[in-house]
Amino acid sequence: MNTSVDPITFAVIKSGLDTIVDDMAYAVMRTARSPIVRDVLDYSVTICDRKGRILSQAKTVALHLGAVPDAMDVVLDRFRGDLFPGDVIVLNDPYAGGMHLPDIFMFKPIFSAEQLLGFSVVIAHHCDVGGRVPGSNASDSTEIFQEGIRIAPMKLYDRGVPNKTLLTILETNVRIPEMVLGDLDAQYATCNIGERELTRLHDRYGAMLDVYFDRLIDYGEELTRKAIAAWPDGEYSFTDYIDGDGFSPDAIPIVCKVTVKGNHLYIDFAGSSPQVKGAINSTLSFVKSSTYLTVRCALEHDVPNNAGVYRCITVTAPEGSILNPRMPAPVAARALTGYRVVDTVMGALAQIAPEKLMAAGEGGNTVVSMGGYYGEPRRPFVLVDMINGAWGGRADKDGIEGVTNPSQNMSNLPIETIEAKYPILMEEYALREDSCGAGRFRGGLGLVREYRLLADTAVLQLRADRHEHPPYGLFGGSPAASSRNLMRQNGEWRVLPAKVTLEITKDTVLRHEQAGGGGFGDPRLRNPDAIRSDLWNGKISSDHARKNYDFEEE
Amino acid sequence: MSSGARLSVDIGGTFTDLVLMRGDGTSFSCKVSSTPASPEDAVITGLQLILDQSALEASDIVEVLHGTTVGSNTLLQKQGARCGLITTKGFRDVLEIGRLRTPSMFDLSWDKPEPLVTRRYRREVDERITSDGLVLRPLDVESVLAAGRLFRAEGIESVAICFINSYKNPEHERQAANVLLDAFPELAVTASVDVLPEAGEYERTSTTAVNAYVLPALRGYLSRLSAKLRTKGVSAPLFIGNSNGGLSSAHVARDKPVFFISSGRASGAVGAAGLGASLGEENLVVFDMGGTTASAALIHRGVLSRTNEYEFRAGMSVPSRFIKAGGYMMRVPTVDVAEVGNGAGSIAAIDPAGLITVGPVSAGAMPGPVCYGLGGLRPTVTDANVVLGFLPTELAGGALKLDVHSARAAISETIGKPLKLDAADAAFGIREIANANMVRAIRAVTIERGLDPRDLTLFAFGGSGPVHACDVAKTLGIPRVLFPPAPGVFTAMGMLASTVEHHELRAYQSSLMEIDDQEALALLFDMRENAIEVLAQQGYEEPEIMFSQEIDLRLQGQHSALSIALVMPLDRGALRNAFIADYRDVYGYAPVDSVEVVQLRVHARGRSSHMIDFKLMQAAQCGRDTRTPSLRQVYFNRTWNEVPVVSRSSVIGTFDGPAIIESADTTIVVPPGASIEPNLAGGLVVNLKGWRT
Repeated sequence: MNTSVDPITFAVIKSGLDTIVDDMAYAVMRTARSPIVRDVLDYSVTICDRKGRILSQAKTVALHLGAVPDAMDVVLDRFRGDLFPGDVIVLNDPYAGGMHLPDIFMFKPIFSAEQLLGFSVVIAHHCDVGGRVPGSNASDSTEIFQEGIRIAPMKLYDRGVPNKTLLTILETNVRIPEMVLGDLDAQYATCNIGERELTRLHDRYGAMLDVYFDRLIDYGEELTRKAIAAWPDGEYSFTDYIDGDGFSPDAIPIVCKVTVKGNHLYIDFAGSSPQVKGAINSTLSFVKSSTYLTVRCALEHDVPNNAGVYRCITVTAPEGSILNPRMPAPVAARALTGYRVVDTVMGALAQIAPEKLMAAGEGGNTVVSMGGYYGEPRRPFVLVDMINGAWGGRADKDGIEGVTNPSQNMSNLPIETIEAKYPILMEEYALREDSCGAGRFRGGLGLVREYRLLADTAVLQLRADRHEHPPYGLFGGSPAASSRNLMRQNGEWRVLPAKVTLEITKDTVLRHEQAGGGGFGDPRLRNPDAIRSDLWNGKISSDHARKNYDFEEE
Repeated sequence: MSSGARLSVDIGGTFTDLVLMRGDGTSFSCKVSSTPASPEDAVITGLQLILDQSALEASDIVEVLHGTTVGSNTLLQKQGARCGLITTKGFRDVLEIGRLRTPSMFDLSWDKPEPLVTRRYRREVDERITSDGLVLRPLDVESVLAAGRLFRAEGIESVAICFINSYKNPEHERQAANVLLDAFPELAVTASVDVLPEAGEYERTSTTAVNAYVLPALRGYLSRLSAKLRTKGVSAPLFIGNSNGGLSSAHVARDKPVFFISSGRASGAVGAAGLGASLGEENLVVFDMGGTTASAALIHRGVLSRTNEYEFRAGMSVPSRFIKAGGYMMRVPTVDVAEVGNGAGSIAAIDPAGLITVGPVSAGAMPGPVCYGLGGLRPTVTDANVVLGFLPTELAGGALKLDVHSARAAISETIGKPLKLDAADAAFGIREIANANMVRAIRAVTIERGLDPRDLTLFAFGGSGPVHACDVAKTLGIPRVLFPPAPGVFTAMGMLASTVEHHELRAYQSSLMEIDDQEALALLFDMRENAIEVLAQQGYEEPEIMFSQEIDLRLQGQHSALSIALVMPLDRGALRNAFIADYRDVYGYAPVDSVEVVQLRVHARGRSSHMIDFKLMQAAQCGRDTRTPSLRQVYFNRTWNEVPVVSRSSVIGTFDGPAIIESADTTIVVPPGASIEPNLAGGLVVNLKGWRT
């Protein structure tokens, strides 16, 4: 460590930044209006230095955070010399720093006197940004223009004065304006918390801060390089699949090749599918983000989550591919592709650091959107619900069930919140028996979630996957059970496709059965007591035990 | 309550502390060994001692205040009841699924804690209440009975009941509880609406499950304690310190133990905040070290850090308002405390890599440290301190003679020989590791929240806090250490400064501008009457009760609210302005949105006429000790120094360290170069700035 760097001050500033983003994350939760932000916590916050480098990330959606550097570059480029105290910049355009339209990025430059100190950054998934389907998340749009309102980087506040033109355009183009504007206010309140706290840190430590910020980022880089250097040089490849884009049933390959070269990682996605018709194309920024977070899982836990980590990883994907699409490819349901990138990179890295990683989890959340009008007088509603999740089996223990995908750290929407806010009755929310992939260490169980519509009609939009390509096992472990979508109308159940948009009527019941996690290691090596315990708790059936483990109950 | 004595008892893993305060304000204290198998035995032993000291009769005691670790130990050691849970059909796994989030990111080795009720004993029954509180499907009584039969057949002792939307209509839960209790009277039953009648099925279920899990243990303990106190002639009401640092009647603790998991520890922090306030000390790290654990809490800008949700998990807790520890969720008000399993009785060992480790295993009261001569063979932190001269060769005012020779031998054997260190250096190593462990707890509430410890003062107490406080402070650059009077029994003292609390809360949903005066007033009146009745049962009459009331407001559509003080007559505009002002203070802008009312609150605090006033504490001190100080060899800074040993009551003016200050309840270690001065509240302040190592 540099001699001019005092270890206690370094620790205080490092943790101080972690606390600032923690406070910011808490502020969003307290001030947001929509359940998707307020309860499910589909948002992210981070603090960047004056050069736009990430200093610290809150324990929020990892998938968002790695996309901040590319967005920040666009902001710094377009507003060079045009940033002032009180300014706030927003964007959501995937072709200008954004990821998909519902995710609105907000940046607030932070000043002390006239000097730029850094930026508060808050990304929130808005419950609706217009477009053809409620929730603006549809996987079956075919160009970006169907997906909602596009916001190129622009000022929402100009030296503290709100941009009424932009606010009015937003208000008139979204289905639930009070939630969207309310959540923008929550983002703004949160940026202010970041501004206040970073200013406090600056008041305490002054110009010295810059030295410590540099040191912190270098420290992140050093730890990352050290870890990579310990891995054997070589190429490690893996391929996983998305079931289809909703138009074509053809499997969509995601191919990655990880090259370890000294203390640097090169991760290339050549061989992945060309861009597709449906809205599951992913911006390169989002692919980078998905890749960074997976590499981060293979590092030691004390590596700080800052820009230094990213310096050690080079991510490339061919232009015109599903992982680097050209305008006007639709991208609304791109999260699914991000999950599959995570799974693919995980499969490659598991060849290098199996003790840090796991077999495939549920494959990312399933998104259930239901929207329409209900009550007297008729009021609009848009439910965007996300179903999560299970982890795959690990080198020394079973996968977890009832857990966020590691790329997110999102929560679930409480049953009692859904029922109080929407014309929906929840029939079931439970673990899905027998859905785990068998292994010496089994995967976690998937979840079941069942909704009954109480409004007269609604548009239902489903984005599921892992129907055809179940989560993989590792080192002899079995894949998990595939997912299923089911619908009951007039007492009859029928199976729905993985991705679908359709109109439903009162008392229709929708049931999603999520995939579980894949198994790790040979099932024949599983401890019989663990099998007994799962049987005793009803997590697996005797049939499952017999088929997968050759186990007969005494 | 106008005359008579109050007894305060704090039970730790190693010692049980008692403080008795006479009607005239004079206090007496004693420390006896804890008896973990039946903690009440130590209380009775201590009671006899303290009655003898004070020349009072058992019948002179008018209130017994008590802090107990029975709740937290039950959870920590996973020794709670075999539990069942009855839930609405379709929602068997709500408890196990939880809220999905992980306490850290990018860590795929994380383990989710085992649910307190295993899946087999989570039984569904057919019933359904809608979000409007209407009955959609009636309760199927037969399925409740079927669950009860399974529970009986498989030895389940305690049952939690939590139905979807019960916070809107408690009838089905009440009905199911009655059905169970009638048919299976041996079961302990907790209905969620009786513990946490709030929306959020996971938080409500989990809080209820924790309650069910610890209930038989705490209830059994309190029954035995009450019975034994009665046989000793103490018929005074028993109050238990809750996790928020207030006091509640033992009747409440018997039924709602989930509110008492951090009993005792929280009272120490509240006492520290009270004493700090009386001295004008606004920024304090509260450091409490006992025999088994050490804990830290933060008082920043005069406010003790508290939380409304709390997740209990073994090991170090890292406080964060946004991400919890990933343990057992309880939505109950709690003082925010970081704790490490490191106390005076923590056992020192060498790990396979050759490093010295201390704790979390503790020798506790039995067998205790080697030097106690009660059969302990493994060296502890206390053994190290005795060998190094930091502790006297007798403890608890001469009640316990220490065997220094055996302590030195055990340290040499276990630590010294393998590491090729002499006994003193090996003991010094143990002490240093213990200090480093405790620094972690303090870091968690300071550095890890971005607060520079160099801007704070350490407030140290507990039987062993003063033995280590200056070392711990120095490591973190904390310049001053504050010791209260009688630091060794300060938690018990703190309870004497606590109020008996009762909080009432009613949902009231309306826009602020449309609030109905009559309706709101009727609700407030009703809550106030309830509070008066509850406190009357605990022995407090209306003139002794302080009331405050609040209204929780938020912007339309938000989930979280801000509590605004409610004064009469009700002024909507003023309330809106107060809310907007608070909101602007926190979030940096003034919203123009409409404001909605969430709930009304009434807080009632019973104020004992003999509650300790910290400013007057000095008056209660006993006579001065005028003996000349002795000298002892003490191993400061890895060399032996001849250090004056003085008795606590002889300290009058300012003087310089090194010094060892002894009293019956603890030993204060003052390093070379530090200076000591008495403060206004009868305590001591040690200034570390001159300490050179």
